[in-house]
Amino acid sequence: MIGDLLYLIFAMIFGLLLLGIHRKVIARIQRRPGPPVWQEILHALKFSFKSTWIPQTASDTLFVSVVLIAIGIWTAAFFVVLAGGNLLIIFGIYMLHKIVEHGFGLSSGSPYGKFGGVRSVISAASEIPLFVSVAAVVIFTGSLEIGDIVAWQEQAGPLILAVFPAALAMYVVILSKFPFSPFSIVESKEIVSGYKTEHFGVWRAGLEACNGLKTYVLLLTFIAVFFGPLPFLLILLAMILITVSISFICAFSPMLSPFDSVTIQTLFTGLMLIYVVYLGVYG
Amino acid sequence: MKKKTAGRIAGIAAVAGTGATLLSELGTVPPWLGIAVVVVTFPLFLLFLGLWWMARETDADIPFLGY
Amino acid sequence: MTTAGGTPLFLLEFGDIVISFTPYTTSLFILALVFTLLVIASRPERQLDIAFGTDAYMTKEISLSEMRFRRFMAIACGLASMGAVVTGDLFDFCLFTALVGICNVGIVAAVKSRHVQNAAYQYGLVALAATVLLFGGSAMVAATTGTLSLPILATGTLPAVPLAVKAFIVIGVMGEGMAPFYAAKAEMFRAPGAPYVIMCSLSSLLIFLRVIEVVVQL
Repeated sequence: MIGDLLYLIFAMIFGLLLLGIHRKVIARIQRRPGPPVWQEILHALKFSFKSTWIPQTASDTLFVSVVLIAIGIWTAAFFVVLAGGNLLIIFGIYMLHKIVEHGFGLSSGSPYGKFGGVRSVISAASEIPLFVSVAAVVIFTGSLEIGDIVAWQEQAGPLILAVFPAALAMYVVILSKFPFSPFSIVESKEIVSGYKTEHFGVWRAGLEACNGLKTYVLLLTFIAVFFGPLPFLLILLAMILITVSISFICAFSPMLSPFDSVTIQTLFTGLMLIYVVYLGVYG
Repeated sequence: MKKKTAGRIAGIAAVAGTGATLLSELGTVPPWLGIAVVVVTFPLFLLFLGLWWMARETDADIPFLGY
Repeated sequence: MTTAGGTPLFLLEFGDIVISFTPYTTSLFILALVFTLLVIASRPERQLDIAFGTDAYMTKEISLSEMRFRRFMAIACGLASMGAVVTGDLFDFCLFTALVGICNVGIVAAVKSRHVQNAAYQYGLVALAATVLLFGGSAMVAATTGTLSLPILATGTLPAVPLAVKAFIVIGVMGEGMAPFYAAKAEMFRAPGAPYVIMCSLSSLLIFLRVIEVVVQL
């Protein structure tokens, strides 16, 4: 159990390292030297040493507690995945991350933060394909518990072979949560840093910690649900490979406008719905 | 916030989190309670640790006001 | 008895209505509770607006009476979403969902901004129309299976509920504030008062998360 606590801290740092690798790969593809891979870890540390206060216009309780909630929900998600708990809880937490982003943006009173927050909520269309991919997983494994899904794969082989479109849908969902992705309209540069704009110093360090943990948990869930039981080092390797594949997509595609981003995600949803209805009827 | 207050809160959160984990390992408290305490204390610990080490111990610099 | 949300940790019985706290519903409940407490504890922020073309900017203040009313509506909305995520009765779920829709309009109803009022009006119309599907869906569930109790429906011994009825219930909930009907709602977030406005999006996400669990086990 104490091991779990250490694993939690490791997950946070490794998640930040993945984000650093992500930046490095994008930079190399674009023929820039790019920051060192541990830059995101340094970033989080740097922010935590900066002088910190609460903006005068902010709703102070919300401004601070939303950072606590952000780290708290992903800590909870981490333990749920570790215990092989319910997949719905993970996705519930994923959707609640939207509310947290909304809270980050709105609580400061800054218009840039607010636009970021509102964009985060309007892109809620991207979450629905995720639920559809859950439906596809349930049709095959008959359970929503991650533990059962992993056990099922031990018998029948990786789920990614059985329900490839569902894996693709969840991949898109993970992609939308990565920085610099075509769907990351919540922090695009025309609104400064979007919902993060007004959270500086220690608050931002907390947000970075949450991002590291979030990246790790989402990739861990993806690997557990679609690749089944793997040894620990292989999981880490798979995480790096998935991150690099996402970096390639991010490096080659421009950021979409909010309208286009939501439209494309909704199209994905439509395709996934057709696929699941097909599975349900003929599968 | 004073450096001391932030340090104390971070310390209490760290002790509570590790304590609850240890107790659930020994079987004194159910495992879900140990995890619930960690979920609450871990963010508190991280944030107040940051607030503790960034807090100033001396007075701030006097800003340069021009010649 | 295992449901889609996991094995119930605790059952609260009101006659034949059984409220079950599964790991899933409990986590949703706790989140609704945390945000409701935040609504009670925090003061609204002061939104900054830049006077276009100049260097001037102004802050929007919320008057005390307006704040009190909106805080009340936001707490009511929090209570309604707490009810919706744990209830063990399909009709109660629909009632709480409709209440969430009404409270969402209430949260921004006191804001003196034309855009917000227009958005709230349009959202109200969509939410009203959606209740027809919602309650119609639950009535059809009662007609096909003879019960509205979710734990009994989850046993799987009753006649299957038609797919269209499930779709009715999901679309009904989506009308209360999920994409694609979200378009009207987005404009409501122009309103100042972050802790209250967050309740609008939180409540619709929570009821949507619950309806997934409800529909999976129908």
